[in-house]
Amino acid sequence: MDHIELSLTQSLDHCIKCNICTSACPVAAVTDAFPGPKYVGPQAQRFRHAAQPSPDASVDYCSGCRVCNQVCPTGVRIAELNARARAQIVAERGMPLRNRIIARSGLVGRLSSGPHAPLVNFTLNFAPARWMIERVMGIHRHAPLPKASTYTFRRWFKRHKPATNGRRPQVVYFHGCSTNYYEPHVGKAAIVVLEHLGFEVIVPPQRCCGLPLLSNGDFPAAQSHHEYNVAQLLPYARAGIPIVGTSTSCTLTLKEEAPELLGLHGDDIHAVAAGTYDIFEFLRNLYEQGRLRTDFRPIERELPYHPPCQLRAHRIGRPVLDVLGLVPGLRLRESRAECCGIAGTYGIKREKYQIAMDVGKSLFDFVRASGQDLALCDSETCRWQISGATGVATRHPIELLAEAYGLAV
Amino acid sequence: MYDTIVIGAGLSGMLAAIGRAERGEKVLVLAKGHGATHWSTGCIDLLADVDDPLAGIAQLAIQRPHHPYALAGPAMIEQGIARVRTIGEAADYPFAGNLNRNLLLPTALGALRPTAFAPATMIAGDARQLRDGRPTLIAGFAELRDFFPPLIAANLRAQGIAAEAAQLALPPTQRQHDFSSVTLARLCEQPAFRANLGEQLAAHVRKGGYARIGLPAILGLRHATAVVRDLQNRAGALIFEIPTLPVSVAGMRLYQILEDELLRLGGRIQLGGFVQRAEHIGDTLVAVFSEAAAREQRHTARHWVLATGGILGGGVRATPEGYLYETALALPLQTPDGRAGWFAPRFLDEHGHPVFQSGVRVDQRLRPLDAAGRLVYENVQVVGGALAGYDPIREGCLEGAAIATGWAAGQA
Repeated sequence: MDHIELSLTQSLDHCIKCNICTSACPVAAVTDAFPGPKYVGPQAQRFRHAAQPSPDASVDYCSGCRVCNQVCPTGVRIAELNARARAQIVAERGMPLRNRIIARSGLVGRLSSGPHAPLVNFTLNFAPARWMIERVMGIHRHAPLPKASTYTFRRWFKRHKPATNGRRPQVVYFHGCSTNYYEPHVGKAAIVVLEHLGFEVIVPPQRCCGLPLLSNGDFPAAQSHHEYNVAQLLPYARAGIPIVGTSTSCTLTLKEEAPELLGLHGDDIHAVAAGTYDIFEFLRNLYEQGRLRTDFRPIERELPYHPPCQLRAHRIGRPVLDVLGLVPGLRLRESRAECCGIAGTYGIKREKYQIAMDVGKSLFDFVRASGQDLALCDSETCRWQISGATGVATRHPIELLAEAYGLAV
Repeated sequence: MYDTIVIGAGLSGMLAAIGRAERGEKVLVLAKGHGATHWSTGCIDLLADVDDPLAGIAQLAIQRPHHPYALAGPAMIEQGIARVRTIGEAADYPFAGNLNRNLLLPTALGALRPTAFAPATMIAGDARQLRDGRPTLIAGFAELRDFFPPLIAANLRAQGIAAEAAQLALPPTQRQHDFSSVTLARLCEQPAFRANLGEQLAAHVRKGGYARIGLPAILGLRHATAVVRDLQNRAGALIFEIPTLPVSVAGMRLYQILEDELLRLGGRIQLGGFVQRAEHIGDTLVAVFSEAAAREQRHTARHWVLATGGILGGGVRATPEGYLYETALALPLQTPDGRAGWFAPRFLDEHGHPVFQSGVRVDQRLRPLDAAGRLVYENVQVVGGALAGYDPIREGCLEGAAIATGWAAGQA
């Protein structure tokens, strides 16, 4: 029995029914469709049995934001209970076509990006098309969808020439689907920053980390993605070369979500998990070791920053505040909103769009009230949600760090 | 590298953190999750079983020199409480009460509970006022679990208070089910919901001539004082809140105003950071490691405050084999001799159970000591429920001792 399974059974006793999770849950706060983490987690779990049908479908309304885990005073892993329960429902009842498609972000990205991207983007901005997509696919017509890029990050990287050559310490970059197909500029910023810090950056072949599959309950497909990535990354992890990612949800998936939810506990899986870092976590470590360059240009700005749920789930504090706090003149105002609502693919679904907008309301108010034309957030779908809801451009903090180093992207 | 890292986000930890942040230190509060504040009444208990808490504490300090109150000293008690009250005033959530005379406030069972300070939203429920012969109404919603007005009113009547009970109709809302205390608190901040509630209360007052109305403590999360003021105007009677079972909205408010204050002072809070081991050089604590995805996170600071609570708060854990341990730094504990000494023979023994006095023994400066009385860490202070030699719930001093020791540790 692995430790999630152990906590699946033990948490029934660890849970003291204090309701702290339900009172903190941003989804339960805005809708009746989700009765709260305590009910669908440790309580409903008593009625879940491998040999019997799932008792309650409301667990599908869990957005997976993990606020419940974070506030639980007795350490129950509620979000994991919910994710596994959803996977059981999917295994029993199958997965709707819509979820099959949006869970394959690598495939969708590959089809959307490239020279034909303007056409894709035009279509996705064209109201009648969105209306059709909502009718046929169940993707809400106002849901924030990213703009496909005319080139991929990997294509750019192949032609990219580092400024300096020679023997340098190596680091592996895990770009994830969004950087490759929608936001190559995030990957470029990461590369120039890492090179500025004296690293040689390696970009091995990689697939989607599998998180959208995990959160839509397709565990078998997620497992094949994860095993592929582990096979690609393992040689580096074994050689002690750090694996760094700019998508905080991809890095969390490599570190913990995939191994834990899928119950994968081999040495190889653990070696890759232990060798993976969110990029600002990596930079903060460098700083603590006295290896971070601090030749920053001052940036006289006060910007709103939202630490996304998936970053908080790393349980590493606020590395962005620690590192960007070193830039002279730059002041980040941290949002205290629990969640932006989007939770990956959750908020684009027709039946969940309004829930996601209601969940994110206090964050949107915070961003608008800042009066700034720029907000920062480490997670791509959250950036799209914040921009979509507020009209305020939202960028990855690494882009601002590149600017502080005076690096052209 | 922080100046001070406080482990634990309860009352004692937050007070220590605020005190240190106020002195310009770089402060981090590292906590497993929300805790004791969200389970508590939101009042400040100093000492039960006495009329005059301050006099009682002075006497206790002489009889039990290792009691947290004795270690912190009277000045820290008074200053710490004064600080909490200033924070409350600034947040429009004032605390009323007195160091020298306990209030007696109704519980959700209708018992009368001594406490020294209560939020202004509860103060009209003091039994000395309720006993003036004028009728009091206890009201609630059938939808709110674990709050039964007829039970509360019956128990108050048995104690000489003219109390009656009524169930209110839940004002129309989009919500269909699951009305937890927090859901209702959010609804109370909506004007339409409150107007409907006010009308119902006014109708009861017209019919029954009530001078006061006791309601569950769900009257708003962030603007409780204004909600109560508004309802009093609409109802034409004084209104007091009665703390509910967990989750306690009043406890959440207390945590919220402290969190706001700490962030205002530039402090940081990291929840979900369960500290599980320490690294030291000699008697200096250099780092702690908190549980995180894939590997631990290492935190460094010059000074440390352990505020993880006792058995209730999770700072002290018991194994089924009869072994007690301190969870964060593995500090030596002062415990009863052997498993057989944990419990008194009777479940409701009036002296409580010895195991609940387990905790970390400290010196005059709240620094941890081992069984032989030797200093364990020179740069660690232990505060609140994690301290040995008292039973905070039994003695009715949980918040008072937390504030006094927390504030003392905040004063460098």
